[in-house]
Amino acid sequence: MELTASAWLCWISPLAGAPIILLADKISRWLRDGLAVGFPFLSLIASLLLLPNLFNGVYFEEEIAWFSILGFRPISVGVLVDPLSIVMVNVVTFISFLIMVYSLKYMEHEQGVARYWFFMNLFIGGMVLLVMSNNFIFFLVGWKIVGLCSYTLIGHYYRDEQRHWIGGPPPTPRYPPSYCGLKAWIVTNIGDTLLLAGLILLYVYAGTANFTELFKFSSQWMPEVASKPGMLTLIGILLLCGPLGKSAQFPLHEWLPEAMAGPAPVSALIHAATMVKAGVYMIARFLPIFYYGYWVGGFDEALSFFLLAAYIGAFTAFLTGTQAMVSLELKKALAYSTMSQIGYMMLSLGIAGLNPKALVYGYLAGLFHLISHALFKAALFLGSGTMIHGCKSIYMSDMGGLKRHMPITWFLMWVASLSLAGFPLLSGFWSKDAILISCLLAENYWLFTFALGTAAVTAFYSIRFMGLSFHGEKSSHLAKLEERGERPREASPIMWIPYAIMVGLTILLGILGPNFEGLLHEVFKGFFYGEPPLPTNGVLSPIPLQVYVTSASIGIFLCGAIPAYMLYVTRKASPEKILSRYPVLKPLRSFFWDRWRIDSFYNMIFVERMLRLRPFIGEVAERVMDVAFNLKIPMLMEFSYLKTRRLQIGILSYYAFYVTLFMAILIISLLAVWPFVPT
Amino acid sequence: MYPPNMLLQTVVAPAFTALVIAIVGRRLGKHVGWISGGVLAYTSFLLFLSGFKVLKEGHVYEEYVWAEFLNLKWGFLADGLSLPIALIMNLLCAACAIHSIEYIEHKVKIEHGERREGLHTLYQALFLLFPTGLVGISLSTNLVQLYFFFELTLIPAALMLAFFGYIDRERIAMMYFIWNHVGAGLYLLGIVIAYFQVGSFEINALSALLESPMAFWVVLFILLGMLIKMAVFGFHVWLPWAHGEHPIAQIVAAIVGLGAYIIARVLIQQLYQVFMMFSVPVMVLALITMVYGALLTLAQDDTKRLYACSTISQTAYTLLGLAYGTNLSIVGGIFYFLSHVIGKCILLSVAGIILTQTELRDMRLMGGLGAKMPVTITLCVIGSLILSAIPPFSGFPSELIMFIGIFAGGQIDLLRLTIALLAISATILTVIYTFWPIRRIFFGPLPENLKHVKEAPLTMTGPLIVLSFLALLLGVYPRFVTDFLLMWIGGLGVP
Repeated sequence: MELTASAWLCWISPLAGAPIILLADKISRWLRDGLAVGFPFLSLIASLLLLPNLFNGVYFEEEIAWFSILGFRPISVGVLVDPLSIVMVNVVTFISFLIMVYSLKYMEHEQGVARYWFFMNLFIGGMVLLVMSNNFIFFLVGWKIVGLCSYTLIGHYYRDEQRHWIGGPPPTPRYPPSYCGLKAWIVTNIGDTLLLAGLILLYVYAGTANFTELFKFSSQWMPEVASKPGMLTLIGILLLCGPLGKSAQFPLHEWLPEAMAGPAPVSALIHAATMVKAGVYMIARFLPIFYYGYWVGGFDEALSFFLLAAYIGAFTAFLTGTQAMVSLELKKALAYSTMSQIGYMMLSLGIAGLNPKALVYGYLAGLFHLISHALFKAALFLGSGTMIHGCKSIYMSDMGGLKRHMPITWFLMWVASLSLAGFPLLSGFWSKDAILISCLLAENYWLFTFALGTAAVTAFYSIRFMGLSFHGEKSSHLAKLEERGERPREASPIMWIPYAIMVGLTILLGILGPNFEGLLHEVFKGFFYGEPPLPTNGVLSPIPLQVYVTSASIGIFLCGAIPAYMLYVTRKASPEKILSRYPVLKPLRSFFWDRWRIDSFYNMIFVERMLRLRPFIGEVAERVMDVAFNLKIPMLMEFSYLKTRRLQIGILSYYAFYVTLFMAILIISLLAVWPFVPT
Repeated sequence: MYPPNMLLQTVVAPAFTALVIAIVGRRLGKHVGWISGGVLAYTSFLLFLSGFKVLKEGHVYEEYVWAEFLNLKWGFLADGLSLPIALIMNLLCAACAIHSIEYIEHKVKIEHGERREGLHTLYQALFLLFPTGLVGISLSTNLVQLYFFFELTLIPAALMLAFFGYIDRERIAMMYFIWNHVGAGLYLLGIVIAYFQVGSFEINALSALLESPMAFWVVLFILLGMLIKMAVFGFHVWLPWAHGEHPIAQIVAAIVGLGAYIIARVLIQQLYQVFMMFSVPVMVLALITMVYGALLTLAQDDTKRLYACSTISQTAYTLLGLAYGTNLSIVGGIFYFLSHVIGKCILLSVAGIILTQTELRDMRLMGGLGAKMPVTITLCVIGSLILSAIPPFSGFPSELIMFIGIFAGGQIDLLRLTIALLAISATILTVIYTFWPIRRIFFGPLPENLKHVKEAPLTMTGPLIVLSFLALLLGVYPRFVTDFLLMWIGGLGVP
């Protein structure tokens, strides 16, 4: 059944609902909150209605012309219902709805609730538009809207009260939320602008913005692009810049840690589960085009898209994983881990394009990881919101021993963390394995080793995160709180039930495991072998490979988990003691703590240079021109009139002389030109 | 049926009202602004009606006798190019007329320590010359008429600066007048040369010039004149002063953009081949201007000067679009100019609101105002979104169309492609210089001395809210502008 209405409804409902919420705020609080959760719920229902299409294979698109421009296909607003968009839209709306329910309680006593609901709904609408759009112009519209919402929601506490600052403890600098929002906005906009350039170039060559047509007619327009050396690479790089910014990948990754200044549900929804996945979605969307270009069209430059995605993904996964190992801030540790996990997804999609053997498996592994990560990471963020609320501190070192106070959260967070760590038989385990397997399928052993190594890092920081906050002795901060009678308490059910559902699904996906991969494969058949079909060989991975990789990944999990367990959960060994015994580790730790010095480097190069340039531009460069034009030229005039004024001295004989002189010159010049005057 | 002489009414009604106000408006005090607003609302309605007629018949043309011996006529032409420009200019004027009622009230009170009814009359009488000039420029059919209206805008602009401006206003008013007059003089030189070649001042007759070797000089002089008016790098030094200190810089910023209209109307429409000889130097100049203008904007600490300087950079985008000379880059460039003036009108008015409510211009002394002025911060964010080309506002479709055109023109050679890439990268600076000030003005803790600040009255914010909806409308449904512009460019045969 073609459910065009529901494909439209799922993004229009929250988008159009957002301003209604602002109006409802004037009427009653209950109406406002009801609508704020109601619109995403409607969106969820609409997208759930699309789910059956995955199995009966009915895919369609529908569009309405937006405006026409000469020489090109009109730009339309439209929806594309295909396996990728159905899967994505359900992930987005499902998690959005749960997080909105959580927010009901979390934001209850905060400032600017109406504004919060407005931007959250706008965000959901933008995100679903991004996912459902059948052309990249409206994809970009959604893309920019979610960026805007991210900016405003990170800076939600725009009054910059001290308790909302992020960073530290001193000497590490702390930043106010408004700074963090601005930083995120500017850094992601760098990526967005370059993405826009890439999309426009693509549009100029292909003459269409429609994803389906872009792919279908790639054999027509791609030769023209490829005939200009470097152009296809340029487009590939520009297109990738968008995901690098939005999904916080190296070198545009430095905004995400600061983005944690927003409320916890914002971090969960935007900076873990959905918006940061938009980049991954985009690569998945464009993958068939470049894949076809390289493996069928034979345009070598198309490969650069995949090479870049794979290597940047693998590098970011490691880079940010190491930072998560030393982080002290609860949400920041999770943010580093988000970047690291998205790195895995990028790696997986990149790998998919590098070898036809890995196409199907790598592509689906990336998507599987996206789904499972969205579930457990959103749960982790929501849980950490509860913890921060309870402990009134963003530092894990101010927690400790929370297990007693929050048993439900403790249990749920452990399951989610273990899934992140790759504990066998949880969803994260299967999806990470799938990525490792696809590295092997692509016969890229370097990337495999790198990804495997990062898995140990992941296991370490996940267990450390749990150990530091829930186990061990309670910190002096907590003791002080208890003295004041403000013991951290378990969250209300409205808050923990949403993340309990997410954790439940994580467990379910873990039980389904490889069956779920098989299901995804079944569903995406039409996507790969559609018109024109993508060349692949090998469908699912061979069994022996799976056995090897599974045992390797269990081994590597233990490598990371056991030390973390001893250091932070049972606390049999102390990290400080180890550091003093092996002083070599100290600079390494501070290197990781300082985010590989990348952030301070960017600050020095861009922010401080810019600030230093300001007086130069304002006072030197501008001043020089200003003085030259607006002072020196008038002074020249003044000078000349002062000089000529001297001629008029009021003595009659002088004037008589001037008159005679003038007459003489006139007569001489008349005589001089006379012969040339035509008669 | 359509009312008679719609275009003539649109042009003359404000000027006539100005006269009436100047004679009898004193008694009304500040409420005289409502009369201007009302008249402009009426003329906007007339233009709106003309829009329907243009869509149906292609154009609306009215002709009146002027000077027979020079073969001169008053001609008013509303077509695909001039109508959207005239309409949006008129709407801007209407919004500003109402917005400035309280603004001038406050300004006069601060300056003279008491209410002076006569100053309101003076202000509004001068102000009403703007719509006559701006709409007159858009609708003109001959070059002298164009010159006449262009110079007409200069009079209120300079006088209002001298009477109601801020720091060092008389000197800056003189400076503004001279710079713009030099620009106009170069334009005049160009059209006089053209007259001796083709024997007519009609814009339509100019294409006869194409065969003449003098066409190069005509285009050069007109272009130079407009480049001064558009404040490109090197010629921009008057703009931060004049716009920064001007009481109604919103409209003056629109005049800057009209330079682009004249380039499109006179040079591109009639002398495309000759204009394209200048394409590469103008592109380079535009690129330098947009980057330098953005850096200059970033260097400002003063709210009024900040948004004034950003005009330099923003106008350069339009110029770049025109210089690429593809039909979409031209259409996008003009659309971008319209979107920019709406956004800039909002932003400069926000600076005015902040000045009225806090008596501050220095951003270093501000902070945390968002908590006190929720409507103003919303307007400021919307204005910034328009300038930064973020959907759903008009900046996005206009920038999109413009850059599609620019990149299409960038296919010719590597230089054009490089400039296109650099120019689109420079838009990042726009985001920085619009959103950083928002943080400096509105976010963070509220200083003790600003605790008493209140939200601006509805007469100041209301017109801006209407303009925001206009920008939203053009962003969601760009066909209100693009259909007209495409109709115009489609008839030109530009590649």
